[in-house]
Amino acid sequence: MKRYGDHRIPGRLFVVEGIDGSGKSTQLMLLHQWLKAEGYGVVFSEWNSSPLVKDTTKRGKKKQLLTPATFSLIHATDFADRTERNIIPLLKAGAVVLCDRYIYTAFARDASRGMDAEWIRELYGFAVKPTVAFYFRVPLEVAMKRINDARAGFKYYEAGMDLGLSDDPDESFRLFQGRILEEYDKMIPEFGLTVIDATLPIETQQQEMRLMVLAKLTQAKQLRVAP
Amino acid sequence: MKESYGVRLPGLELDDLVGKLIVLEGTDGVGRSTQIRLLKEWLEQQGHAVLDTGLTRSGLVGKGIKRAKEGHTLGRITLSLFYATDFADRLENEIVPALRAGFVVLTDRYIYSLMARSMVRGLDPLWVRNIHRFAPKPDAIFYLRIGVDELIPRAVFTRGFDYWESGMDLYSAEDMYDSFRKYQTALLDQFDRLAEEFSFDVIDARPEPRVIFEQLKAGIDRILTPGVARAAETATAPIESSEAAVAMMIEEVSEERRKRA
Repeated sequence: MKRYGDHRIPGRLFVVEGIDGSGKSTQLMLLHQWLKAEGYGVVFSEWNSSPLVKDTTKRGKKKQLLTPATFSLIHATDFADRTERNIIPLLKAGAVVLCDRYIYTAFARDASRGMDAEWIRELYGFAVKPTVAFYFRVPLEVAMKRINDARAGFKYYEAGMDLGLSDDPDESFRLFQGRILEEYDKMIPEFGLTVIDATLPIETQQQEMRLMVLAKLTQAKQLRVAP
Repeated sequence: MKESYGVRLPGLELDDLVGKLIVLEGTDGVGRSTQIRLLKEWLEQQGHAVLDTGLTRSGLVGKGIKRAKEGHTLGRITLSLFYATDFADRLENEIVPALRAGFVVLTDRYIYSLMARSMVRGLDPLWVRNIHRFAPKPDAIFYLRIGVDELIPRAVFTRGFDYWESGMDLYSAEDMYDSFRKYQTALLDQFDRLAEEFSFDVIDARPEPRVIFEQLKAGIDRILTPGVARAAETATAPIESSEAAVAMMIEEVSEERRKRA
């Protein structure tokens, strides 16, 4: 079992982080399109998407069975499945792997739910260290406005309603995501996250991202090209 | 009054727990479930409310694990975390509420089995210990110990060899017998290490179930009846192995004889 930072594998791993409404998924999608067009063998992996674990998580969320501890552990299980069956084999094969949310999402959310910060870091100790972890920093109000414009209301766990911070979903979202923002800020120096100002125009952010990714790709020797 | 192995879970107070947490550990087919059944009946006759529980029975993930195992596609880290999730769910929803209500909780396996299995599968021993550190320390851990040579006939003549109990995910090229032998040997080795580290009460699982039952009863009596516990403590040093106790007895008897002579 290799630990965070110990993996020596030819592929490249780029991850995006940020609160809901930060625009990170859009940016990753644009990066994906570009890498494909450039001919790289690129694979996308989404948070909470393991086919083996997803049903349990979904049921737990729907029936609101999850406590901070089981919420944390079931997401780690999902992540482990994707790491063991996708991320590591793909990176070994020399692919470019893109992840929408990574372990830092868990660190921010679980700590905001009162879980022991050191324990969560240990829990994810098997994760591959990303080549670059982009953090899309955005003020809370901007993120809330984007979400409200796009869809009606917040989801139960997304708004941290399980914590009983407030009965009002808007207020609960504000309090919970505010805590998450604080956790992200602490992680910037801890994990060397690359901060992108997510209030800038979409094109500007993408330009910055591509420059940094390109620098890492030109250093790599054994990357796969798309079949 | 209980405490965990070092990690506190939010909203899960342990210091007001009045019940007793009793763990039965041991490898597959060693006779744990028979003993749990006997103990539950006995404890209830004594007037104790009992909760018996085991691994992969949680409402949240019990079914998910079963389904995933049928496909045999779980990675080793994933499997460990799936079990840890299941354990956390049972801990929060069954074990701790029962302990709070003053039940005797009898659990068929605990984190030690989970740790042993993960370590046999090559996971980092430190990581494996750390992720289970939120578990409350039990009042007693009885380890039903058996050697692989005594274990094999039990598997052959009762249930047959099971895919996971034979570690076929580890040694898939071999037949079930070879795989079972190798896997269980490695597992027993891990249990022996854990027994020392976590001070298990080791019980020889080779004799008749009735004999084992009597030993377990005596052990549980010491926990449930403080008077008996004190008497037992002053009477002998902690009974680590019955061999040591027998050796002491022999020593005393021969001392007597020498005096008389």
